[in-house]
Amino acid sequence: MSTSDVIVAVEGVTKIYQQGRVEVRALRGLDLVVRAGELTALYGPSGSGKTTLLNLIGALDHPTSGRVLIEGRHLGALSRRELSHLRRDRIGFVFQAYNLIPVLTAYENAETVMALQGVEAGTRRRRVGELFAEMGLEGMEDRRPDELSGGQQQRVAIARAIAAGPAVVLADEPTANVDSETAERLLDIMGKLNEDHGVTFIFSTHDPRVMERARRLVRIVDGRVDGDGTREG
Amino acid sequence: MSILRMAWRNVWRNRRRSLVTVAATTLAFTVMVLYSSLVQGYLVAMERNLLDLELGDVQVHDPRYQDDPSLYSSIADASELLARFDAKGYAASARLLGFGLGAGADASAGVQIQGIDVVRDRRVSRIYERVKQGRWLDPGAPHEVVVGSQLARTLVVKPGDELILLSQAADGSTANDIYTVRGVLQGVSEAVDRVGVFMTDAAFRRFFAFPEGAHEIILRRPPDMDVDAFAASVRELAPNERVQTWRELAPTLASLLDSARSIMVVVFLIVYVAIGILILNAMLMAVFERIREFGVLKAIGYAPGQVLLVILGECAMQTLLAIVAGLLLAWPGLWYLTRVGIDMGKLGGMAMMGVVLDPIWRGVVNPSVFTMPLVTLVAIVGLAAAYPAARAAWISPIRAIQHR
Ligand SMILES: Nc1ncnc2c1ncn2[C@@H]1O[C@H](COP(=O)(O)OP(=O)(O)O)[C@@H](O)[C@H]1O
Ligand SMILES: [Mg+2]
Repeated sequence: MSTSDVIVAVEGVTKIYQQGRVEVRALRGLDLVVRAGELTALYGPSGSGKTTLLNLIGALDHPTSGRVLIEGRHLGALSRRELSHLRRDRIGFVFQAYNLIPVLTAYENAETVMALQGVEAGTRRRRVGELFAEMGLEGMEDRRPDELSGGQQQRVAIARAIAAGPAVVLADEPTANVDSETAERLLDIMGKLNEDHGVTFIFSTHDPRVMERARRLVRIVDGRVDGDGTREG
Repeated sequence: MSILRMAWRNVWRNRRRSLVTVAATTLAFTVMVLYSSLVQGYLVAMERNLLDLELGDVQVHDPRYQDDPSLYSSIADASELLARFDAKGYAASARLLGFGLGAGADASAGVQIQGIDVVRDRRVSRIYERVKQGRWLDPGAPHEVVVGSQLARTLVVKPGDELILLSQAADGSTANDIYTVRGVLQGVSEAVDRVGVFMTDAAFRRFFAFPEGAHEIILRRPPDMDVDAFAASVRELAPNERVQTWRELAPTLASLLDSARSIMVVVFLIVYVAIGILILNAMLMAVFERIREFGVLKAIGYAPGQVLLVILGECAMQTLLAIVAGLLLAWPGLWYLTRVGIDMGKLGGMAMMGVVLDPIWRGVVNPSVFTMPLVTLVAIVGLAAAYPAARAAWISPIRAIQHR
């Protein structure tokens, strides 16, 4: 594999939160490389630093030291404006919950990032239509988020993240708030999108069933990588 | 487009709060439009009365008249000047001014006597419209005079009664004669009401033995000429006389009229600050409630300016609703104020700095009646919305998302 396939490079990153007088060392010199097409699960005990890591990769926060590179671009060197364009064009986010804008319909939520990118309306309609069909969301287009189940909301959030054609989709415990059946469904969808469209996923979890689905498992303990394995098949 | 759609739907998210905000803004805007119409109506009426009834646009006097307002401080070549003004097409009329003592059956008072060219004067003054009892002067009735209403009360005279006038004539002899009161004037100016006695110019010349000249020429400008250009032109035609615009003749009133509009804007600001606080509060609440949402928007790539637009758009839409509603509400009010007006006669009438105003106070409708309350409203709303909008726009997405 060539270095040009590297989507995410995390190099010696530390993150220290200042909580009053107390310093919380959330990440302690963490290295990680994620290549195009990987489906990576970050797992580890609660408080190990998974969310912190995803936020740094997603350009939502700055490391205390070390570097984060997305497609070779050092985030620390980018302006605010470049960072927000990077989030818009190269990164997809799926949060644990409350991902969607309540006043927009499922369809409008899914197309909003594309609209920001200036993608033409016909193209948006077609792409969201395809994704909704693939994800079992047909007929949900005009529903507001509060008329959707938790699993449906997460699927719309995934559709929104993917529709914009990002280099990587970051999902922080995407199945934490849904029942296990729905969780499996979401994982199937992510797996399928990964296989069929080569979408690169990084998600965090502490759900064993979720881990089973991942092709690459990265164990995080105390803000460091404690194990990194790839499953074939 | 999706930004404005989001803004519009956000307006209806907390229906009650939005309705309260819109209703309060509507009310304030409506009241300010009506207020603006009335104040401007007042100013227009005041300026019109001052010019139409008293001063004209420009006056010409002998240079000595200001310090020594006597019979002798007259413009000797008044008729020559009038001919020049006529040649230019300027409306002009001369007045003769003198002082004396007026006496009714049992009372007497000091009076100012004005001799008027009844035909010409109509071109420069609408004083004849202010005859409340009896009739205005008639050149064919030289022994009939018109007096101010306050003076009529002091002297206890009414149309048909006799009035004796006493003074010193130009030749030093005693001037005295008996006249019949022909009419009573009301609402010209406080001075005219109190001491004004009007007669024909022929009667004045006979009474004061004053055959030539005049004390004052009143001119009105053509509609397409501003008052200063007009005064300059009059000065060229009358180089030896003192030529003053109404602004120079009544400087305090002129500056009052000028400053009244800025005073009005201050009132707008005061009223709108209350609305501004309401909007600030509503928008702060809205932003605070949706803080997580703004975090999500920023995380998925909305730029600060786009988030700003969501919030300012929401605020602008509410304000626009209020403006439309306010205009609809103000419509009948404006109709009433301009057509019917408020009858101040019942409240004893109005006078301001010596200028008597019409008993019916009417509003006016012109673009500035709307633009001035509008511009101030938009400025205040913009200021009130700026802080909450900026907070949401520049919030750190991570802090917003972690916010519970
Ligand atoms: N904003 C913050 N301020 C202070 N400490 C934080 C903050 N966010 C996370 N932490 C701390 O950093 C550590 C890592 O947290 P996190 O990245 O959320 O772990 P995980 O997602 O693996 O549960 C924890 O000890 C947590 O308490
Ligand atoms: Mg976490």
